[in-house]
Amino acid sequence: MKIDIQKITDGEESVVVRYIERTPMINRIIGILENPENKLWGKTESGSVCADIADLLYLESVDDKLFAYTGDKVMRIEGTLNSFMMDMDDGSFFRCSKSMVINVNRVKALRSLSSNRIDATMEGGEHIIISRRYASDFRRLLKGER
Amino acid sequence: MKDDKKLTLWERYLTQEIGIEFKACLYFFAFLFFYCCYRMLNGIFDASILHMTVLIFTCYFIGYIQVYLLWNFDEADSLGVREIFGMVICTALYCIVSWFGNWFDKRIVVTLVFAAYILLTYFCVFLIYRSKRRIDDKKLNEELRLFQTNHQKK
Repeated sequence: MKIDIQKITDGEESVVVRYIERTPMINRIIGILENPENKLWGKTESGSVCADIADLLYLESVDDKLFAYTGDKVMRIEGTLNSFMMDMDDGSFFRCSKSMVINVNRVKALRSLSSNRIDATMEGGEHIIISRRYASDFRRLLKGER
Repeated sequence: MKDDKKLTLWERYLTQEIGIEFKACLYFFAFLFFYCCYRMLNGIFDASILHMTVLIFTCYFIGYIQVYLLWNFDEADSLGVREIFGMVICTALYCIVSWFGNWFDKRIVVTLVFAAYILLTYFCVFLIYRSKRRIDDKKLNEELRLFQTNHQKK
């Protein structure tokens, strides 16, 4: 691929992408250019993919590997749940157990369970249990007290 | 770094203990009511201190069994075989103590009525907790919608 970089002294900065076929690499470049802050890059069996952070339903840490779930794909991402939570500062994501983080904006319904636990039904239909340890914090988040 | 907002082991233990304390008081007063009714029907207008002491200790003891061994059945999400088994076990324990403690003058019919009363109490407590959770569901979902609306505006 030919890379043409030009320095300009005035006018609007722009990037032109010329392609014959939208390959994963081209998609990745476009993804980065479109809105880098709201995108999350990860790996699936078919290669590198990106997803809007707002589209994530939840993240799960399994055997020190971090997986992000959207409605239609599961991708492995770099880092840990802690580092992810540090990067997200808009309060949409909530640590609901030791190994899971949910996107509160993608919760369809909540159900109060015994022992002060909460069952969160995600938009994809998955049921995620917010453990007793995190439930009071979750209630505070909903009330806007966090 | 330690997160101060997270419950410590001690706080979790304390929460459990307060739950047992509450349960013991709840069942003590429910069963004391039955005991007082029985006494009054027999023309006795005072209650034995010994019986009441044994009753409160029994309530504590069975409270521990209920929480730590029998899946806290009265607060369960649904009433299944496991929960009914728990109720029957605890009812049997109360009846055995009442029999040997001579609470109802070792009358088999009264003891059986007491057993039915205990089961009814457990069932009512189960329904109360379930209703409480349903009200909580509505509140939680209202707060969730509000949260999501506020976040979408941002």
